[in-house]
Amino acid sequence: MGGLRLALKLGASKSMTEFEKVEYKPVPVRELLTEMKDISELMIDLAYSAALFHSKELAEEVLELESYVDNLVYLLNMNAMLAARDAEDAEALLSVTAVANAADKISDAAADMAAIVLKDIGVHPLIRRAFQKVEEQLTRVKVKSNSFFVDKTVGELKLAPTIGVDVIAIRRGKKWIIDPDDEEIIREGDVLIARGAPAGIEEFEEAAEGKIEKLEEE
Amino acid sequence: MTIPKKISEELVKKLVELKDTSELMLDLAYSALLLNSKELAEEVEQLEEHVDDLHTEFELLALRSGFSPKESKNFLGLIRLGVVTEAIADAAAQIAEVVLRGLKPHPILKMVIEEADETVTRVQVAENSELVGKTLREAEIPERTGMWVLVIRRGKKWIRPRPNTKIQAGDIIIASGYAEGESDLTKLATAKT
Repeated sequence: MGGLRLALKLGASKSMTEFEKVEYKPVPVRELLTEMKDISELMIDLAYSAALFHSKELAEEVLELESYVDNLVYLLNMNAMLAARDAEDAEALLSVTAVANAADKISDAAADMAAIVLKDIGVHPLIRRAFQKVEEQLTRVKVKSNSFFVDKTVGELKLAPTIGVDVIAIRRGKKWIIDPDDEEIIREGDVLIARGAPAGIEEFEEAAEGKIEKLEEE
Repeated sequence: MTIPKKISEELVKKLVELKDTSELMLDLAYSALLLNSKELAEEVEQLEEHVDDLHTEFELLALRSGFSPKESKNFLGLIRLGVVTEAIADAAAQIAEVVLRGLKPHPILKMVIEEADETVTRVQVAENSELVGKTLREAEIPERTGMWVLVIRRGKKWIRPRPNTKIQAGDIIIASGYAEGESDLTKLATAKT
């Protein structure tokens, strides 16, 4: 996986909370939209996780991603405008900007969710009960020293293909790694936040806690 | 908790449905774009109306649950969470609208959906596939492939997946999930192992 593919290329600063000057950069619309789609969907799960696991830091990460997505919308719109040569192009590109706007709306919704956590509004116990019953589960688990995850890269573990689980964030001490790359090495003591189907999530937790020695592929 | 058990259970049930439906809608909306399918887009529109009603019921139920002043912050959080799911449903409907308004999805969209971390795919179940005759529960598609079955197309009918929906040869399964699971699903749908 690994999001924020464009962030480095665009020179987006880590602290994206201040308004950045909007500046045109030539970036393919396809790349911008892919990034927006991936990040907005990731943000929803990160925001739900922030609420479920009472994490203000994670909520702040969501807000930073939100302003990053805002910048992507500007860039996408500018690049789409320049790509249109005639009325036919304009019509065709409208489908692209409509989808980009929808992704922006989703990222805004995630930010609203994060605000619940940051403003101490309160996460009702019923929310936690509901999240035990939803189709896609979220979990937070600490990697024990005897887990076979230790010193392996995220990609090596093949979590998505074998058990349908995706690590969406890693907390290492005070540092957060959002949407880790395949090359990211998992360390003992890392706190992993992941999403997936209930059966896969259960297996994932057991593996991180060193209770099983390998992932059972069905 | 001071509110009656019956109400709290109903609130949980509605919240689960709101969250699951809003995310299903998003996947369906992207499928509608990918396949340029008006039927799927209409399905999304119908679900959007359903979510609107459900959301109103959820909010009313929360407001008349009789919570104490001390619990009001928690209930505000609960209501706001409902708003988030509704916003996601709206975004999905917005995507479906592209198809319903007759805008031809730009080729870029197809590329974006196919190369995103989470992708949408469709496979046709071959006659000699091991899936034929199995219910979705027995087929264990999410466990084996990491892909969720969003909808099944049988002839002209769109079937919403239920655990005891039986898979037939010729069914077109539309599923979403991590890109890695796509080939596993294709394998399941085509050949007997």
